[in-house]
Amino acid sequence: MELPLPVAFTFSPMRNTPAANHRAQKNLQQKMQEGTILSFTTVRHPPEGFPVGPRVIGLIELEDGTKVTSPLLTSDASSLTIGMKVLPKMRLSRVNDQGLRTYDISYEIPVQKPVKQEFPGYVLALTGPSGVGKTTVSLLLSTTVGSYVERVPILTTREPKEGDADEYIHVSPEEFLALKNEGKLATSTSIPSRDEKRWYGYRTEDIEAIWEEKKIPMIITEMNLLQGLASHYGRRSILSFGLMPPGKSKRQKLSALLHRLRDRGRDTEKQIEDRMKNAEADLEFFAKRSELFDDLIVNDDIDSVVGQLGGLVLERVKA
Amino acid sequence: MKSAILGFGLSIPSRKIKAEEIAAAWKQDADAMISSLGVTEKTVPDAGEDTFTLAFEAGKQAIEIADIKPAQVSAVFVGSESHPYAVKPTSGMVASALECDPFCHCADLEFACKAGTAAMQIVDSMIRAKQISHGLAIGADCAQAKPGDALEYTAAAGAAAFVMGTADNKNALCQIDQTLSFTTDTPDFWRANGKDHPEHAGRFTGEPAYFHHVREATKGILEVGKIDPKEIDHVIFHMPNAKFPNRIAKEFGFTKEQMEHGFIVPTIGNTYSACSPLGLAHVLQEAKKDQRILLVSYGSGAGSDAFLMTMLRDGVKLQPDTRETTYIQYSEYQSLVKSH
Amino acid sequence: MQSPIYLTGTGQTRFGEHWDMSIKDLMEESIDGAIDSADCTALDIDMVVVANMLGEVASDQAHLGAMAASLLPHHPPALRAEAACASGSVALHTACALLESGKAETVLVVGVEKMTDISAGKIAAGLMGAADAEKDAPSGLTFPGIFGLIASRYMHEFNLSREQLNHVSARHHKNAVSNPFAQFRKEIPAESISTSPKVADPLCMLDCSPISDGAAAVILSTKFKSPIKIAASQLATDTLSITDRPTVTSFAATKDAMTAALEEAEIDRSDISHIELHDCFSIAALISLEDMGFANPGEGIALYEKENPMTINQSGGLKACGHPVAATGIKQVIDVSKQMKESKSEYGLAHNFGGAAATCGIHILAYA
Repeated sequence: MELPLPVAFTFSPMRNTPAANHRAQKNLQQKMQEGTILSFTTVRHPPEGFPVGPRVIGLIELEDGTKVTSPLLTSDASSLTIGMKVLPKMRLSRVNDQGLRTYDISYEIPVQKPVKQEFPGYVLALTGPSGVGKTTVSLLLSTTVGSYVERVPILTTREPKEGDADEYIHVSPEEFLALKNEGKLATSTSIPSRDEKRWYGYRTEDIEAIWEEKKIPMIITEMNLLQGLASHYGRRSILSFGLMPPGKSKRQKLSALLHRLRDRGRDTEKQIEDRMKNAEADLEFFAKRSELFDDLIVNDDIDSVVGQLGGLVLERVKA
Repeated sequence: MKSAILGFGLSIPSRKIKAEEIAAAWKQDADAMISSLGVTEKTVPDAGEDTFTLAFEAGKQAIEIADIKPAQVSAVFVGSESHPYAVKPTSGMVASALECDPFCHCADLEFACKAGTAAMQIVDSMIRAKQISHGLAIGADCAQAKPGDALEYTAAAGAAAFVMGTADNKNALCQIDQTLSFTTDTPDFWRANGKDHPEHAGRFTGEPAYFHHVREATKGILEVGKIDPKEIDHVIFHMPNAKFPNRIAKEFGFTKEQMEHGFIVPTIGNTYSACSPLGLAHVLQEAKKDQRILLVSYGSGAGSDAFLMTMLRDGVKLQPDTRETTYIQYSEYQSLVKSH
Repeated sequence: MQSPIYLTGTGQTRFGEHWDMSIKDLMEESIDGAIDSADCTALDIDMVVVANMLGEVASDQAHLGAMAASLLPHHPPALRAEAACASGSVALHTACALLESGKAETVLVVGVEKMTDISAGKIAAGLMGAADAEKDAPSGLTFPGIFGLIASRYMHEFNLSREQLNHVSARHHKNAVSNPFAQFRKEIPAESISTSPKVADPLCMLDCSPISDGAAAVILSTKFKSPIKIAASQLATDTLSITDRPTVTSFAATKDAMTAALEEAEIDRSDISHIELHDCFSIAALISLEDMGFANPGEGIALYEKENPMTINQSGGLKACGHPVAATGIKQVIDVSKQMKESKSEYGLAHNFGGAAATCGIHILAYA
């Protein structure tokens, strides 16, 4: 009877014999501790006996002061920094050519803090593709119900550019990741653009400061940040509205967006192309993740939209 | 003295694949598949995860929640269709890695998707027989499916673990009031020795298989427990897809509210031996003291285990998963499942 | 040294891919060169010390002492010394001990490595024998990976930039242009170092010494005199695994061997005109210069950003000459002696280490 051999693993030479395998079990128990990253590297060509493909390996200092080298589980090595905390995870390391399996401890990065249990307050979130008019809507809301809502600044690692209002706080990638690791961001996401990866996020202190003033924090956001915010504060805390461009069909909606983006004159054609791709994804998001939205509003008459949203805000504030 | 769940744990891979991704790869109609199976995405174990690593992580969490020392565990039973070895028990590896005392009853179980609940029944008996004071029952799987087959949309990976002890334990969370099993020889789904993928019998897997056994076991436990469906607060059925459990629930008059917390298949998939156990693990986080729980599993081949349980105190919320979910493409999915 | 030890003969093969040469062939060429350049004849050789690390792994061949001895007509006594990439300096040290004790008057020391007969993946696995098989290997580390961890930490502690690190390999390649024994004799612009394929971030292919075949041999004698003497031969060790050390950006074995060598030679480091140091990876060059006291911690790069009165890896170092593991320590001594003769300088130093400097061997040569 032929045992099916795993394909991802190549054959290992002498290592990983039964007795060595048995002795290694003691190490597993000692390595099941939390730790801190002292250094890390990506080994592009692991030695024979390991799965083909890059491996992120860290030098980790464990709680008891001992150090180990172990794989780091991360989907994105560029988000790792020295000093990050890591948690142990049991992993299959290798399989030898007799099918004997070696397990080891890898370390993974905890991403978010636990969801707050008590209801913290409402956050008004406007989500929609570029060009749909979110900024305009939010600016108008700030004037009509400005004593009840306040915009939350968005943290970003991208370079400031013309046309940016005071909605952005620009920080360096290192500062951003430090805030993220310290748990000071309610949510964050990275958006790859043509040349680099940009990070965006909201600071919990900015949101909480607005609650202190008995106002509702308002964010103009996109799908990943919305999802993260709903996970962080609980879905019920988010007054979530999707703003859609006018048009019966998807094609018409996208066409409306394209016109608005061109009229706006803030982006190059390349940037508009990127935005249109995201816009398609955004429109699909409304359909697939309808549970994340309290309502989808078509932004064809700005006054009625602002009126509608303003009314909903006042309802919540009075409740 | 009845037995009770003292602590529970779960382990689910952070990698998932969307149904639309699978459909695109096979040029099938994604919307049709999603609407017929009710599963939009499923978990995929990555290269370093297997039934043992998932069972271990779930067991570790269960021991923490139960607030006992690993050395107090005197039995570990692991049910799976994808034990890492054909001969070399997962239960022994888990008991050793968790640092249970070597004087420990261990064995692996296979009964298709109900091997996890079978493990629970054995630990329950050993506790009621006063043979052990604490035991660990685990359902864990990295499920396989033939490429291009409908099962590919649902065959998922995960593990759920339960530390069980006597019902008078200070941490007793959920008492096992009654349990029974209904078993026949029914060839609805099987995997021959040495084969990578299981075979299934199409529509024969419905009425003669799933529905017949789940129905009989449910009828049986309601009778033995002298309880009406309306009195049950939480219901968990084995979930090979979204349709089957909903249909059997309707037969008995169970409502969406009763099914809500245990109905985990739409975004996880069918984790085979971990399937209804994972549903239970989700219920145990939400249920309140004195609420009644009905769990009916189903394993092809075929059989059903039914449990009637009572919450002895309010449920315990687990720390939410701290990892980001990564959605993978079909090409990566293919290379990952080959290695299991 | 109690009685002066003279370096009386040197020979080496070019380092590189020698598809048509076996271990024995490589040894033979270097031994022939050593004997030809020496004052003595083959029959004067009392003992042979062979340095080799991977004979069993790459060629199923152990017992290289006897193999080398059988190349000489009189089959003198022989042994093999191994300390991973420090095998060469350890063999030299062994020879010095045999000479000092009087057990031999003339010793042939030959370092040989045949690395190209098996796949790169198998060689990477074999080289991990220089680290801790139980602590370092199970994670899937390779030696580039270990030094990738070291480089990453060094950059974090000292703010070294990737651009600055480029200067190391660039300088070594420039130096090798005039070395007929070097594997690579082409100048490479600094920017190209960091655009070469990544091997173990932040290290790129051109930060790493290559896989090479080669052999190097010297004849040391208390009987046959020459202008070059061994003024110091010192070894030091450290833990095999970097996880057992308080820091990864400094190597205690280099510091210890250096202190002992300067003491034995009764000189100050400022007396040294030429050094050949162990640049298995570019970052190792910087750390080694700092550990040997030629720069403060974090400031080693300054010695690559400007010209120095003391030459560093004038041969091209491990990066450009190639690194047939056990041959390197001996080849370094040969190159230092050549440089000293040419510039008529009094002192030169060869710095060789194995693994992550778990063994370090330092030899100081004196020219009269």
